[in-house]
Amino acid sequence: MDIGKLKKYSDLAHDITVTKRNSLEKMRSRQIMAYNGRLFRADAQTINTVSTLKAHAKEFYVLDTNENPCLVKDPDDFLKKLIERNQETLNTLSQLHDSLQRRT
Amino acid sequence: MTTGVLLYCFDTPVTAYHKLALKSIELIQKNLKLPITVVTDHETHRHFPQFAGVTYILIKQQTKNFRFYRGQNVPWYNMERANAYDHSLYDTTLLLDCDYLCFTSNLLELSKSEHDFLLHDKVHDISGVNKIIGKLEATLPIVWATVVMFKKTERVKMIFDMIKHVQNNYEHFRNLYRIKFKNYRNDYAFAIALHQLDGQIATPKFIPTPMNMLPHEFDVLETTETSVVYKYNKKVNVITDTDVHVLDKEFASVG
Repeated sequence: MDIGKLKKYSDLAHDITVTKRNSLEKMRSRQIMAYNGRLFRADAQTINTVSTLKAHAKEFYVLDTNENPCLVKDPDDFLKKLIERNQETLNTLSQLHDSLQRRT
Repeated sequence: MTTGVLLYCFDTPVTAYHKLALKSIELIQKNLKLPITVVTDHETHRHFPQFAGVTYILIKQQTKNFRFYRGQNVPWYNMERANAYDHSLYDTTLLLDCDYLCFTSNLLELSKSEHDFLLHDKVHDISGVNKIIGKLEATLPIVWATVVMFKKTERVKMIFDMIKHVQNNYEHFRNLYRIKFKNYRNDYAFAIALHQLDGQIATPKFIPTPMNMLPHEFDVLETTETSVVYKYNKKVNVITDTDVHVLDKEFASVG
């Protein structure tokens, strides 16, 4: 195959990898949210933890990003905010993912 | 309770830092919507127009320090950051480098937390080349003084007093922690102060996500309201809607 074509493909692969990596970091940065004076990641793990604990107790403790316990008194409100922020970031990522797919 | 941004900006014979600060102020006003205090000197202050919501504190800065930038040592006036606690007019302060560009409102989340002192302990090199951190540069983990959220508490006062102590005895601490770099770096002064004050044990009290950085080998071609376009090895790329610390100091005259 033409070496120029291979180089072009390599450059494109590099751009896409870097862009995707940066987009994931952008998503993770946006997923940090303050709640009751603590910082949380609005990621799948936090959402699953809160959702599971909510099914068993009206109030419960979770650890924040710096491993401090936080009492969650209104699990519905907390879960709603986590999901909103999570989906906002994933929606942005999804749009970028689609645009990257069109480049390949 | 007041929240605001604190910037330090001193032009040097080599770098017109006020150009970086003007871009930073524009983005802070757009995305963070917070009052800003700029600590500067008389000479640099002449370049700043009067902005609503921007206060200036004029001081005479120390001019002995230098930094390695693109193959040469250049003057670096970075010694005043240790006085941030005294200079801040706010209950909650976001202390930012003037080359840190806020393209989002993400930093506001930090100010809503109960933490009284937060900064980054990790970086993300947006170029993908991972040129930021070298190996064996010191015997303590580095922190980054580029973005610091602090509140006016007794503990934070002690942290800044400790930073001043480290700065005044930097040669001793540099030897103690076997820091490779001979110049004074706030990153290490902050790291040493935290290490000393936290009982010399690493404590997880940091901004949960890494700081995005663009190494100085990368040329910034353009900055817009939402993005930075940069170039390296004939490759052009763009980062959009992402807070980023830009180490290329030439960029302000380009945009």
